[in-house]
Amino acid sequence: MLNTQIILLGHHGTEGAKLAEKLAFDVAVPQQTLIVHLLVVPDLWEGMQGDDWLNNASTRDTFGRYVEGLLEKDAAAQLSALEARCTERNLAYKSIVLVGDPTECFVKTALQEQATLALIGSPRPKGILGYRSGIKLDALVRQLKIPLLIANTAS
Amino acid sequence: MVYTVKSPALLIIGILMMAWGWLNASGNIDGIQSSLQASAYKDHLKVKEKFDAELAVATELAKAEGKPAPDMKMPASHFDSAKATQTHMSYYFGGAFVLIGLITLMWKPTEGSLDYFISIVPGIAFILAIAFIVRWGLDPIFGNWGKAAAPTLGWDFAKIFNLNYVVIGIVIGMVIVNVFKIPAWAANGVRTARFFLKTGVILLGTLYSAAELAQLGALSVVMIGIFVLGSVGLVLFMGKRMGSNNSMTAVLSAGMGVCGVSATVAASPVVQAKAEEIAYTIGTILIWGVGCMFLFPTVGHILGMGPVQFGAWAGTGILNSAQVAGAALAFDPKGIETLKVAEIFNITRVLFLPIIVLWLAAWYVKHEEGAEKVNLAQVVVAKFPVFVLGFIAMFALSSAGMFAPAGHYKGKYFSSTEIKEEKLLKGKETKAIEAELTRLREGEGAQAFSKYLADKNVVLEGHKVTADEAYKAMSDLVANKKLSTRQQDSILESVAKLEGLDALAKGSIEKAHKNAYHTSKNIKSYRNWIAWLFAFGLIGLGMQITGKALKQAGGKPLIIGGVVGTLKAVGSLVVVLLFVKEFI
Repeated sequence: MLNTQIILLGHHGTEGAKLAEKLAFDVAVPQQTLIVHLLVVPDLWEGMQGDDWLNNASTRDTFGRYVEGLLEKDAAAQLSALEARCTERNLAYKSIVLVGDPTECFVKTALQEQATLALIGSPRPKGILGYRSGIKLDALVRQLKIPLLIANTAS
Repeated sequence: MVYTVKSPALLIIGILMMAWGWLNASGNIDGIQSSLQASAYKDHLKVKEKFDAELAVATELAKAEGKPAPDMKMPASHFDSAKATQTHMSYYFGGAFVLIGLITLMWKPTEGSLDYFISIVPGIAFILAIAFIVRWGLDPIFGNWGKAAAPTLGWDFAKIFNLNYVVIGIVIGMVIVNVFKIPAWAANGVRTARFFLKTGVILLGTLYSAAELAQLGALSVVMIGIFVLGSVGLVLFMGKRMGSNNSMTAVLSAGMGVCGVSATVAASPVVQAKAEEIAYTIGTILIWGVGCMFLFPTVGHILGMGPVQFGAWAGTGILNSAQVAGAALAFDPKGIETLKVAEIFNITRVLFLPIIVLWLAAWYVKHEEGAEKVNLAQVVVAKFPVFVLGFIAMFALSSAGMFAPAGHYKGKYFSSTEIKEEKLLKGKETKAIEAELTRLREGEGAQAFSKYLADKNVVLEGHKVTADEAYKAMSDLVANKKLSTRQQDSILESVAKLEGLDALAKGSIEKAHKNAYHTSKNIKSYRNWIAWLFAFGLIGLGMQITGKALKQAGGKPLIIGGVVGTLKAVGSLVVVLLFVKEFI
């Protein structure tokens, strides 16, 4: 039997993540399960402005603020929406936002939050717009010390 | 926030640099240096041989006269100069780094400007150490290997693949950031790379003549105008046809059309691009830019392009402005002629940027419902590249003779008065020219000579050069044994190319030409420092090209980018080969 006391859910609004959320709600026990929502802002942004040297500081700052604003807005929307859905189902909710490598962040959070079950969506199908910075399944499986469920798009 | 990271790294880099300086100064590594600086060492052996012979004669003479042996000093060879440069640079920079390294270890940093400035020094030292290793070590090693393998391969792989300090430095920078990560103590300083690149561009302003700047400026406006506007238009068209979002299409068109990542950064907020769209665009541009930086110089060498042709092609065809500078230096690492051309194109591109951003802002507002209107005047002011003003100021100061006398800007200058006695033409050389002068003045020789000048369309100061002018130039050369004016030099340069001219006479004219031109020390050292600034900046920028950013290339942006990027590269190559001559 799966221990669903603390479910770590990797979720950033993709189709795969929505399936993972559905699966989490299926296995979670109302008033008992804590859903730990991990949202990782990929560290690929650290290298995005690196090659720009022609712009002046004001243009670079405007761009930095603009991208930060977009990411913050997106994250806030994701967090509040999932929190509302958890509350609806009588599930406790905790959110964690990290900037970094998704795999490393997931493993680190699982350990820190003493998660009993990990849940992620399947990789994004080809042709769908999105970051190419998903979780590396092989590395995750090797490092994670708790059961891992992957919600498949086909299921 | 305190930026300084306490680490012994800066002190260690400083000590290693000083040790390298000492090893050079003491001559302990002459063996290694003689193989690294092979051609300079050959020159050194010649200078030494000549000096030993002169010393032996002088000693013999002194002995015969009963005088003590003369105290003579061997003149410095290229090898000595190269070693001295390495010694001085290693001592100056190493000494400064040791000092600041000690301060960093002992000092307790507090928030403020001093903390910030100290925090950038380790990163600067890190890049400079790599630049030293690459320029003084790996560049000559690959050069030697290329030459050694040439007889077997039939071609010099180091030359064809441009395995010089610029390319190797950028590759090392990319390897460091993607494989080892930039150490925390160096992170702040590495970001200064763009400052040094801009400084390099500003200083480059000193090396153009007004005519050169006007010609290159006009050429770049035409080329950039056609290809930038063409690319932007084509991306907008393809994006619409392929059903991409308006914001995606607009941001991609700026990146593909103008100056790559810089244009994307400038245009994204204006066209309200989404985060994924920015990531896709920058990934696509970086992959194209890096690929082109390695490919363009090789193609340029294979096609035998000159500096103006290659600079114009790279400046137009390469998507990203950082890689334009990289390709230009990779193509021509010893001089900066190609860089001079390519940077004019980069400056023209960046001047086009506010115009394109305005165009895209208007296009976006027209095509996207609910799009926020943009304050156009604010956009132009915010996007104006201030460093271009620095470039123009340096050009103006240089033209006013602030750094070197007028005419010295190319590094070589004409001066008849500075020709030394021993460099004057010898008797047999002037006789050979005199004999040719007699032949070209009479009968068939005179007819053929006049026809040659007319056919070649030899023009000087707006008029066609006559045979009489050419005869006078030759007579003056015979009488003075040296060239007296630049006009004479120009006329005789054409005369030396006359078919059937006596070999000794031809060689003598060429010798007189060579003797009349002198190296401007100021400009030579300027050029050297500019090349260092660009190498430093490009290695630093290489350290900021991450695999994670490159990996974002994909989807429709990659398809559109691929089509437009290829058309731009091939189209500009065809235009350059057909219409751009080495006329600057």
